[in-house]
Amino acid sequence: MRRLLPRRDRTSRPRSKLRTRDAFTTGGQGLVSRKGRTVLTATGIAIGIASMIAVLGISASSKADLIAQIDQLGTNLLQVKAGSDLFGESAQLPEEAPAMVRRINPVTEATSISELATDVQRNRFTDETNGIDVVATETHLADTLEAELAHGRFLDAETKTLPTVVLGSVAAERLGITSLAGAPTVQIGGRTFAVIGILHPLPLNPDIDRSVLIGNEAAQTHLGAEVVPTAIYIRADPVHVESVREVLPRTANPGDPNEVNVSRPSDALEARAEVDKNLQNLLLGLGGVALLVGGVGIANVMIISVLERRGEIGLRRALGANRSHVAIQFVLESAALATLGGILGAGLGAGVTVAYARQQNWRVDVPLEALSLGVVAALALGALAGLYPATRAARLDPAEAVRPGA
Amino acid sequence: MSVLELTDITKHYLGSPPVKALDGVTLSIDRGALLAIVGASGSGKSTLLNIMGTLDRPTSGQAFVDDLPVATMSDAALAGVRSTRIGFVFQQFHLLEGASAVANVATGLLYRGTNPRERRARATDALQRVGLGHRVDHKASKLSGGERQRVAIARAIVGQPAIVLADEPTGNLDSRTSEAIVDLLHDLNADGTTIAVITHDQDLADTMPRQVTLRDGKIVGDSAVPATHHEPAAAR
Repeated sequence: MRRLLPRRDRTSRPRSKLRTRDAFTTGGQGLVSRKGRTVLTATGIAIGIASMIAVLGISASSKADLIAQIDQLGTNLLQVKAGSDLFGESAQLPEEAPAMVRRINPVTEATSISELATDVQRNRFTDETNGIDVVATETHLADTLEAELAHGRFLDAETKTLPTVVLGSVAAERLGITSLAGAPTVQIGGRTFAVIGILHPLPLNPDIDRSVLIGNEAAQTHLGAEVVPTAIYIRADPVHVESVREVLPRTANPGDPNEVNVSRPSDALEARAEVDKNLQNLLLGLGGVALLVGGVGIANVMIISVLERRGEIGLRRALGANRSHVAIQFVLESAALATLGGILGAGLGAGVTVAYARQQNWRVDVPLEALSLGVVAALALGALAGLYPATRAARLDPAEAVRPGA
Repeated sequence: MSVLELTDITKHYLGSPPVKALDGVTLSIDRGALLAIVGASGSGKSTLLNIMGTLDRPTSGQAFVDDLPVATMSDAALAGVRSTRIGFVFQQFHLLEGASAVANVATGLLYRGTNPRERRARATDALQRVGLGHRVDHKASKLSGGERQRVAIARAIVGQPAIVLADEPTGNLDSRTSEAIVDLLHDLNADGTTIAVITHDQDLADTMPRQVTLRDGKIVGDSAVPATHHEPAAAR
């Protein structure tokens, strides 16, 4: 059709056009031809992005490490403790509670402990108790808690009746017993007990770490103690942990389910995994300030660039660029500059995270969303910083800009 | 048929005192012409160049470039006119120093939306036409002054504009190189390119078939028009 109307076609208003791809290459040209300045200007943004990513990465890595630890310890360990009754007196669990708990289907193991109202001393010449509990228990406690021995062995069918003890890691330390060399003993209720084992720390059960363990039978025989369960440790099928948890109070103490406290020790650890938000926010804020300063730096350099490149701007206008073409060129240049900084910063931040996590023996967790978000933020900041210089470039009078000496 | 038609153009710059840079200029340039617009500095030739090149609009008067009424067009529309109808050659070349000769020439088509492959092909052709077929991929900053001006001329003609405006094209060149550039302009004109050279250099103007003389914002002589048609010239 157009060919039929040559005259009209020739006088129709011509328009200048800039292909999208050409707009990007034109925007990039200014950076390539001033490499040194480009790198220096991008560094400001890079530092801001790097510090923010390092803050997020390091805290994520530390959290990932704790969660890995928790996963290894298992989240299927539950603890039933006697709570307090209506009058605030500490309540007791029924004697048959452990047996009843064991009857819950998904429960794979259950072991009761009884805190005894007696103290332990290193020898008979001291009355220092060191805040250590004396706990009577069954021989399979080690299995239920997946406790491992640092030294010696755990209570067994034979030693559970004898005056022998196994020490929790903290208890051992406080008593000054670090090995079984020299057959160490402790005093409990005025009687001498032989130490036959020392446990490794139990991250899920700090109570046991601070305890001295004796067999239920030995407690009755040698201390004349009445053994009433004060707590029960339970391992359940991981899939059914929550449902087991729900039925535990009524099962352990059908008469007074309210006097029973049920907890999951791994929950406490998970709470610790929530890093200090205040500190993290402060560091993120500092990174944000660095980013902002970087953005102002870019705006500055772009304004200088517009002044220096009057001739080029004039030429482009003479070649047919309209104001938006010139503005787009400078906005894209500024955005590309900042994006370059963002990519540098993301790499740097990830590097710092990896190095720090390795040094701490953590598992490395660089948050990918933070990396991409960092680059996008840099891009947006760059475009924003470029707006004012771009407007100035676009407003230059083309006739003035092409003049020599202008 | 004329590619550029100016009728009673005036251009006033505000200020104290206001400056009448152009005062009733009427000028017609035919397709295929080669002319010099010559005048001393302050004669208004730069202002005339800006208006002919649509870099600026007249205060009053009619202006047509390739039949397009450029005196009344918007800034964006004028950019369109420049991208398709006008080629510029500047005294100081205005090359992108870091870019190759062919990339510089190809920018002459950048704002027409021509695809990169075609831009490069046409730029290579244009470089051949100005005698720089052997310098296609050389960086602009590595070229001699004469070569740089040839690159700038190639950039001006690559889009086959209605008219090429050359502003002191030999102003930064030695006399021998200048001669070669003038020869090139003649050759390009012989091939059909319309060229207006704006200069203060009477010797350069004398080499052109038509000379338009500008003084104090008025045309005082035009070799294509009998002298009596120009009152100021007749008054001389």
